[in-house]
Amino acid sequence: MEAVEYFEVECPEKAGGDYYRHIADVVLLDHNLIRVIWKLHIFIDPRIPLFIAAGRTRKVPGIVKLRDFSDVNAREGKVTISIGDESYLAPLLQILWEKFGKERVEQPDRFTIVMNLSESELQGLEDLPVYDPSESLYKDLIYALQVIQPEGFKVRRQYYGKGRFYLVASEDTLPEDIEEIVREKFSLMGESL
Amino acid sequence: MILVPVTYKGGIYRHDEIIDLIEDLGGYIIQKHMIAQEVVLQALVPKDDIELIRRIGKPLTGEVTPSPLVGTEIAVVTMSLEIHHLPHASCDVAEYIRRFGAKTNMIGLARGFGKRISQMNDEERDVINEHDCAVYLLGDFETCIKHKFPVLRRGIDVPIILCGGPPTDVLKTLIDPPVDGYVGGVGRFMHRTKESEELSKMDEVVDEVTRVLDRKREVMAKDPLSISPARLMDIIYEKIDEIHDVLSPTPITVQMAGLRVKLPYDTFASLLRKTEIDEGITIGDLADVHPSRMRDYILLRIKPFSETNMVV
Repeated sequence: MEAVEYFEVECPEKAGGDYYRHIADVVLLDHNLIRVIWKLHIFIDPRIPLFIAAGRTRKVPGIVKLRDFSDVNAREGKVTISIGDESYLAPLLQILWEKFGKERVEQPDRFTIVMNLSESELQGLEDLPVYDPSESLYKDLIYALQVIQPEGFKVRRQYYGKGRFYLVASEDTLPEDIEEIVREKFSLMGESL
Repeated sequence: MILVPVTYKGGIYRHDEIIDLIEDLGGYIIQKHMIAQEVVLQALVPKDDIELIRRIGKPLTGEVTPSPLVGTEIAVVTMSLEIHHLPHASCDVAEYIRRFGAKTNMIGLARGFGKRISQMNDEERDVINEHDCAVYLLGDFETCIKHKFPVLRRGIDVPIILCGGPPTDVLKTLIDPPVDGYVGGVGRFMHRTKESEELSKMDEVVDEVTRVLDRKREVMAKDPLSISPARLMDIIYEKIDEIHDVLSPTPITVQMAGLRVKLPYDTFASLLRKTEIDEGITIGDLADVHPSRMRDYILLRIKPFSETNMVV
């Protein structure tokens, strides 16, 4: 976990805390999240019981637009999109199908999409947002934290925004002052929620 | 004649000679695996003849190693079948014990996870009780183990080996009344056990299981079984043809004091009871035939000498 600037596991049981430190390390490594996380503080108290994982992510790349990975050529109402990076093809097709209807979107080969569009439909096509990396990052991050947490903690609350995230989990109803506790954990990292 | 559990590993070429030899010497083949060009036999063989088997097996690149757990069926109880416990540590432990000849079954509890919310239902309890011993794989926290273990042991009458994250001596202080075996440092982890330190932990689990089962054997030796499970297995193979149509790797699983016969109970129970072993003695005389809670299998529990007054 050298890439993570701050990483602490706080636990009243020393041995248990050490195991969870290792578990968190392995899980984040397996899910390719080490480079995304900047700071991470994990708090586990099996007596209450309560699990809190709070942290900050590094800056994530911005929204991927159509112009970022393809060329758009429009000639007499016929638009040809040549795809450069295939990894965004599936979300792009979904968006185009939804917007123009499946029958208007032709795909003669893997890297080409041909459509007949009117002038008004053509406007702003190149700036069409296709993929938001922070959305899947959020899902991946929360999933990884759920794998790290003790399994029986089924009552959960999670948050992600402005580069900060937290997941709290317990077996019982979460305490009312849970946000206060989370704020405390953020202040330990020198951050605020 | 003392039968010793061993594993024979060798080439597939002429391996039937080894099988014939073991059977002629009065031993029993418990399980036979064919893996590509290799054959692995788990067998009970007479102690004095191990050298002979080794000598005959040598030109066939055969190797005989003692496997203390051959002929036992062990339950590996994991708190759930979620990614939190699988494939590590549950599968690692189950697989490692299997290498020493035991037949392990992994039992994932439906609601075993958690501290306060952990539970075990009657089916899980009965299935665990059908085994020779149960290896419980618990988590990393003392508080949780102390709190949840009384629920998980309720109604279990086979020996329990408790594995958990805290050190062995801490585990011993947590559990009251004590269980039969403890292994500390084997709690929840999410990586494969491949370093020597971790493998030695796995060896500790095997040693503890062996020690617990040896003690069980000693107790059983005071009132010996009316027939050895391996011999009863041979008789069933010989007399009931349908067992050869069963596709499981072990159509009959040998336990320390019984057998699991993988035939439907309703159809075959009475037939099994009436099957003759020797001069008017039937299986029903020497063993109780129960329905197993595992699918529709049959569970045979061999009665001890004190109940039947005969040893076959």
